[in-house]
Amino acid sequence: MLNSPSYMHVPDGMLSPLTSLIMFLLVLPFWYKGARGLSKRVNARNVPLIALMAAFSFIVMMFNVPLPGGTSGHAVAGALVAIILGPGVATIAISIALVIQAIFFGDGGILQIGANCFNMAVVLPYVAYGIYSLISANSSVTSVRRVIGAALGGWVGLTVAALVTAVEFGLQPLLWHAADGTPLYAPYPLNVAIPAMVIPHLLVASVIEGLVGAAVVLYLQRANPAILQLFTKQTVATGTVAPGRLRLLWIGLLALIVATPLGLLAPGTAWGEWSADELSRMGLGIVPQGMSTMQGLWGAPLADYGIPALGNTSLGYVLSAVAGVGLIVVVSWLLSRLLAGMTRSQKPAVPALQESEQK
Amino acid sequence: MNNETIFDLQDVSFAYEGKQTALEHVSLSINAGERIVVLGSNGSGKSTLLKLLDGLYFATVGVVNAYGQPLTEVAFDDDAFNFAFRRKVGLVFQDTDVQLFSPSVWEEVAFAPMQMGLGKAEVNARVDSALHALRIEKLRDRAPHRLSGGEKRRVALASVLTLQPDVWLLDEPTTGLDPRSQSWLVNFIVDQGRAGHTVITATHDLSIVDAIADRVYVFDEAHHVVAQGTPHAILSNNELLLACNLSHDHVHRHDDGNEHMHPHVHPLAHTHTHALKREA
Amino acid sequence: MSENLTASSPSAGSMQAGLPAPVAGRRRNGVIERTLAELSHAMEHSLFSEDIARKPGLLQSLDPRVKLLSMLALLIAVGLSRSLLVIAGLYVITLVLAWRSAIPVGFFIKRVWLFLPFFTGVIALPALFLTPGPALLQLPLDLVVTRTGLMTALFLLLRVSTSVSMAALLTFTTPWIDVLKALGVLRMPEAVILIFGMTYRYIYLLLNTANDMFLSRKSRVVGRTTGADQRRMMGASAGVLLGKSMRLSSEVYLAMQSRGFRGHARMPGTASFSIRARDWVAVIVVAIVTVGAIWLGQ
Repeated sequence: MLNSPSYMHVPDGMLSPLTSLIMFLLVLPFWYKGARGLSKRVNARNVPLIALMAAFSFIVMMFNVPLPGGTSGHAVAGALVAIILGPGVATIAISIALVIQAIFFGDGGILQIGANCFNMAVVLPYVAYGIYSLISANSSVTSVRRVIGAALGGWVGLTVAALVTAVEFGLQPLLWHAADGTPLYAPYPLNVAIPAMVIPHLLVASVIEGLVGAAVVLYLQRANPAILQLFTKQTVATGTVAPGRLRLLWIGLLALIVATPLGLLAPGTAWGEWSADELSRMGLGIVPQGMSTMQGLWGAPLADYGIPALGNTSLGYVLSAVAGVGLIVVVSWLLSRLLAGMTRSQKPAVPALQESEQK
Repeated sequence: MNNETIFDLQDVSFAYEGKQTALEHVSLSINAGERIVVLGSNGSGKSTLLKLLDGLYFATVGVVNAYGQPLTEVAFDDDAFNFAFRRKVGLVFQDTDVQLFSPSVWEEVAFAPMQMGLGKAEVNARVDSALHALRIEKLRDRAPHRLSGGEKRRVALASVLTLQPDVWLLDEPTTGLDPRSQSWLVNFIVDQGRAGHTVITATHDLSIVDAIADRVYVFDEAHHVVAQGTPHAILSNNELLLACNLSHDHVHRHDDGNEHMHPHVHPLAHTHTHALKREA
Repeated sequence: MSENLTASSPSAGSMQAGLPAPVAGRRRNGVIERTLAELSHAMEHSLFSEDIARKPGLLQSLDPRVKLLSMLALLIAVGLSRSLLVIAGLYVITLVLAWRSAIPVGFFIKRVWLFLPFFTGVIALPALFLTPGPALLQLPLDLVVTRTGLMTALFLLLRVSTSVSMAALLTFTTPWIDVLKALGVLRMPEAVILIFGMTYRYIYLLLNTANDMFLSRKSRVVGRTTGADQRRMMGASAGVLLGKSMRLSSEVYLAMQSRGFRGHARMPGTASFSIRARDWVAVIVVAIVTVGAIWLGQ
């Protein structure tokens, strides 16, 4: 019931219980992976670390951060936690903060814990960390590339998370509506939900996420550089394995982005009901104004690809969403390649804060 | 029994991972049943010493022996050794926010016996008796963030009392206590000593030293042990205390207008006289 | 001996003292003040709900495990029901339960509707106009409220407010420590429950730290600060807090080790709970209501 950190805490009632269940099943392997090691002695140190980082993200979500132009907002800080702890541990820490928010402060629905954790504790940290580590690979701890990586990671990470959330919303009216067509949960189709979520995030919330990450990294470079090396140390220790692991991360990420909308579609099989007839009625109907502008905004890039064979324009939106994410991924990858080529910098110094606790 | 050596340190040095030194060339020996005060100013290495004695940090150079066995990382990898040692030695951290990490007082106090794998009935019995001993039964369902400084200190002591340790390691136990709680704490330490336990207290609070120590080790700011002796010998050595930054010169104006400067110390309360004062 | 046995901690006191004056309009250091307001709001909210949870009342007298599972069942019923009437009925039930459980009902209603996640309002309002369907009401500016739109908006608002009310019932009538233990019913690993408890405990510590940090910054900031300054300041504050969290976590790890922690968390669990006759009654009533709501709502 506090001000929502961003527009991303999905409340109960927005998604159908079946969607909630699927989102929960999607996040389960990430929780399992993150929690599995906790009872091993080598990882015992992670128990208080995760608790403190979860408490930290909880508090940082309350920080008001001003944007140029007079508005202000909150960060999720998921990108920051991922940069410091790595995405696996960040998933657990942010999930715990989100669960406490849901149960005790009514921020985000209790049945939507799966969806909220998937969006903010899986998609956000994994994307943000992927981008950060690509851009800052092999850079010194005080390198400006780390600041850029944190900014870009936060910005893209939260935007992709918003996109995934929008897809979850956008599928609701397709899959679940009353006999007379009344949407029972989130009411907007993909062509409204996606621009409505993604554009404000691109311009506001994700900017804040990026700014907070960059500002904190900048501060840590001056005041506490050891913290920035906590996690990267492990990749350094394993030496040449790192790039391979990163590639795996990217592949997994892409698979995830593709799987999300498809996974949601599979059990619904409501495609036929959303006939072209209905769509055109919507397009020509009562509120063509806003609708068609938004459609233009989002639908344009893929308009010519037309998917008449499937007889369904909505799938086009899903595909264009995936393509949009792909584009971001490719640009980030090229950018990081470019940066990596330009600066052949030294290996990070040996960090001095803690023992590495993971094998 | 009383002459059994509990801790034996030979030329021990410790540095935080390649960085600043915290202890240098420390040699000391502590027997069962002794009450020891480790006296030193902030940053002199007292806390580090207690963590070495508790097997939380390991000597960079030299050996820390406890009960005749060296405390090393390898030794603690052995569950049986770890278990036996943790049962015998209890450390109360200076910062109660570190010591109290559980969501309620009951869980905090039960944490140690639970980790020891004791049965449900035994855990309950130990928690009840510890809460009773520290007179905090009323707090059992409280959350730590709703406790006062004195209450937190009691809970911290109770959380170690359930281990029923032979050796108490207390790090600056009077931090944040009002005078009444302070005198209560001194009594608690005295009682533990009377019960035959070894009590090692790290402090810079000169006022409690005489009551809780048989022997005092003094650390200087270069992380060396510079003196050891009875409380009386140490507390009456003002040059030593001044050199170790444990007392400061005290300037005040008397009625006759003369300015006096004398070392400000809190030694044995009843033997303090102005014999120490010298003309400015 | 008992000099310290006072109800509130000094830290909670300083929190109170840090309550910012009501902010009228936008102030110069609005960012700091808004952050401070949110920090104190979180603190007050939890102190307040802990107090209600310890009063005698209908829901307070039930086993926390029963309450947790009942809440989940009813939330699913709200989610699955396709009838506005049925959902409204469930909402009325939450009000009755609040009334019987020492929760001020006016406060309970206001809390849910006034603080209804902003998000929902933003989504529900345009749905009135954006959802295609038969026209119901013609507004100026060519806006048309559709019947379908109205229904959709009502579904959203009722579902969200009923769900939020149900979650609030659990937290208002159950001390946090009991909610935590009840989570054990859901087969969570003990290490995770341990982490939950620690997180909750340290949220308060960091709340206080952040509060003090912003208070001191507020007292030092005179004159106008630029957005860039404020961003740097927020970044530095978050960085300081992060450093403190990291230091604390390594110290806490030592404190846990010292008391025998080896990674195998052993937790007391739900030993202190007991299911009584009234809990069985509650289970049966909730089962009937849940099944009934889903069946009637089709």
